Amino acid sequence: MLQKIYDWVDERVDITPLWRDIADHEVPEHVNPAHNFSAFVYCFGGLTFFVTVIQILSGMFLTMYYVPDIENAWRSVYYLQTQVAHGQIVRGMHHWGASVVIVMLFLHTLRVFFQGAYKKPRELNWIVGVLIFFIMLGLGLTGYLLPWDNKAYFATVVTLEIAEGIPYIGEMTKTLLAGHPEIVGAQTLTRFFAIHVFFLPAALFALMAVHFILIRKQGISGPM
Amino acid sequence: MKKGKGMKFVGDSRITAEKVRFIPKDYSEYPGKTEAFWPNFLLKEWLAGSVFLVGFLCLVLAHPAPLEGPADPTDAAYLPLPDWYFLFLYQLLKYKFASAQYFVIGALVMPGLAFGGLMLAPFLDKGKGRRPNKRPISVSLMLLGIIAVFWLTWEAASHVDWEAKAEENRPIPPGSTVEIDTEDPGYAVYENNCLSCHGGQLEGVAGPALIGMEYSVEEIKQIAVEGIGDMPPGQFNGTEEELQQLAEFIVATNEQAAEDH
Amino acid sequence: MSEKKQQVSRRQFLNYTLTGVGGFMAAGMLAPMVRFAIDPVLQPAAQGNYQAVAQLDEITNEPQRFDWTMDQVDGWYESTVTKSAWVYRNDNDEIIALSPVCKHLGCFVSWAGSEDYPDQFFCPCHDGRYFKDGENVPGTPPAAPLDEYEFKTEEGTLYLGKAKPKGGVI
Repeated sequence: MLQKIYDWVDERVDITPLWRDIADHEVPEHVNPAHNFSAFVYCFGGLTFFVTVIQILSGMFLTMYYVPDIENAWRSVYYLQTQVAHGQIVRGMHHWGASVVIVMLFLHTLRVFFQGAYKKPRELNWIVGVLIFFIMLGLGLTGYLLPWDNKAYFATVVTLEIAEGIPYIGEMTKTLLAGHPEIVGAQTLTRFFAIHVFFLPAALFALMAVHFILIRKQGISGPM
Repeated sequence: MKKGKGMKFVGDSRITAEKVRFIPKDYSEYPGKTEAFWPNFLLKEWLAGSVFLVGFLCLVLAHPAPLEGPADPTDAAYLPLPDWYFLFLYQLLKYKFASAQYFVIGALVMPGLAFGGLMLAPFLDKGKGRRPNKRPISVSLMLLGIIAVFWLTWEAASHVDWEAKAEENRPIPPGSTVEIDTEDPGYAVYENNCLSCHGGQLEGVAGPALIGMEYSVEEIKQIAVEGIGDMPPGQFNGTEEELQQLAEFIVATNEQAAEDH
Repeated sequence: MSEKKQQVSRRQFLNYTLTGVGGFMAAGMLAPMVRFAIDPVLQPAAQGNYQAVAQLDEITNEPQRFDWTMDQVDGWYESTVTKSAWVYRNDNDEIIALSPVCKHLGCFVSWAGSEDYPDQFFCPCHDGRYFKDGENVPGTPPAAPLDEYEFKTEEGTLYLGKAKPKGGVI
């Protein structure tokens, strides 16, 4: 039955080459932990992607309960964590995933760096990777505020004070981020929410797509 | 694939009508034990991913995501801290060469050089050799950077009493005030010894809230006398009997609060 | 078509036009959105409204804490916030109104807050201290003097405006 559906679609759309290109590409021995256990260092990138998927899914589900409003943000987080079945786990996955994704990115970066895998012809992919790192840090920074608890509020105040300290454009940057020149409040929360949920993920998806396309095009770096 | 005349299409589309039979690729021409990504290698990756996921879920189950009390901009005693992966930047700004009039150096120049260097690494380190011993400068700079980040993070984190901080900032929903039994003999003792820091409703002022605790009578007696975290010892002045009344009053109020909730 | 060598080929012309039309579409979409996003930056800076804080005859040579409330408007969210200041007359009979916010990590300082230092502002969080004029005591955690409120006096009432950093670091 499935085969028939597949053939029906394939006859009309010719989907086989699309996935065959990904499925059939060769994986060399030196990245395969089954042959050489030290090759587990090549898993860090894949695991980063895996945690990113966890983050996207758990984040999507969290917005079913969360409201970005200073009166209700904290209550909604408290509610979803204490009253909703498995709320503790879903929020826990998003919270710890944020830390784990940074750790994995860090390890992946170190692997690429110490293997010199960023050298010609892979300079561009290295830059895209570093940009992904920045985006992840930005996601961490903006996501930290969203529960609107004391920790979130005061950490954001400090962050915005640092932004304000930049010469010439500091105050502008701060106002742009906070939505108000002096108050860290309702407008800050909605801004951080928009950045965390729409702007940065959009940039992240675009960069990740480039990252993966470049890997497929160039192939993984050879053995040392 | 055939080109030019003689090609057949599905209907009026551009999809070729002649399907090439799928023949599994032969990897023998590649060096070593090369294998196909799907399904051979992906299975191994997913096995590693499963082990990772189990570990991750254990972490999630063992440590619920922390949540502190709702943001209170007037809470002047709060010690602000960023998420752990920004601690090194936060710590950097504490040093004399990176704060006050040198703030720009700490907040912009140093992180800018570090991250800019990281981003432009392929153009700064252009040699052919890939092995770390063939490029001592870039590798030693990276090691230096890693050591600096780890050390700064450690310095920032080791000065914080994380447990006391978490204990002082337990989440208490606003508006869930507990009825305080002011007739209780323990309340009079509370009024004289604790109220100035912990508030008339046990809601916390300079000190943390006393609602939502899980201390026993004995533990509260000990804390009242010996202090805990930022609370200095010797806050309680009174007889042993009053101490007992005080601790029982706090525990009873907590039990009532737990019932109401 | 003239016999002259063509300056712009047909393909170039179409490419330029395509870029132009694309640019118009992008600008038409994004212009309102960008203006929308940067609106807070372009708002005129709120002038510190002066709030009545105290009667002049209440102010002594000894710093006293005065509290007042003000309405704060944050976009659509209006709330009442409490502010406070330490106010006194210095030796030249000038009024000094200091912000109670510690310059170290933002705790609240209080005058004679420590029995050991009756003539200084004291911060309970990390034992930061300030002299009466708001200068930080060297060797204690704060790195800058306390902020000073702008003030004006009208008909025997003290009005306070914004707290401004006093010299030193910005």
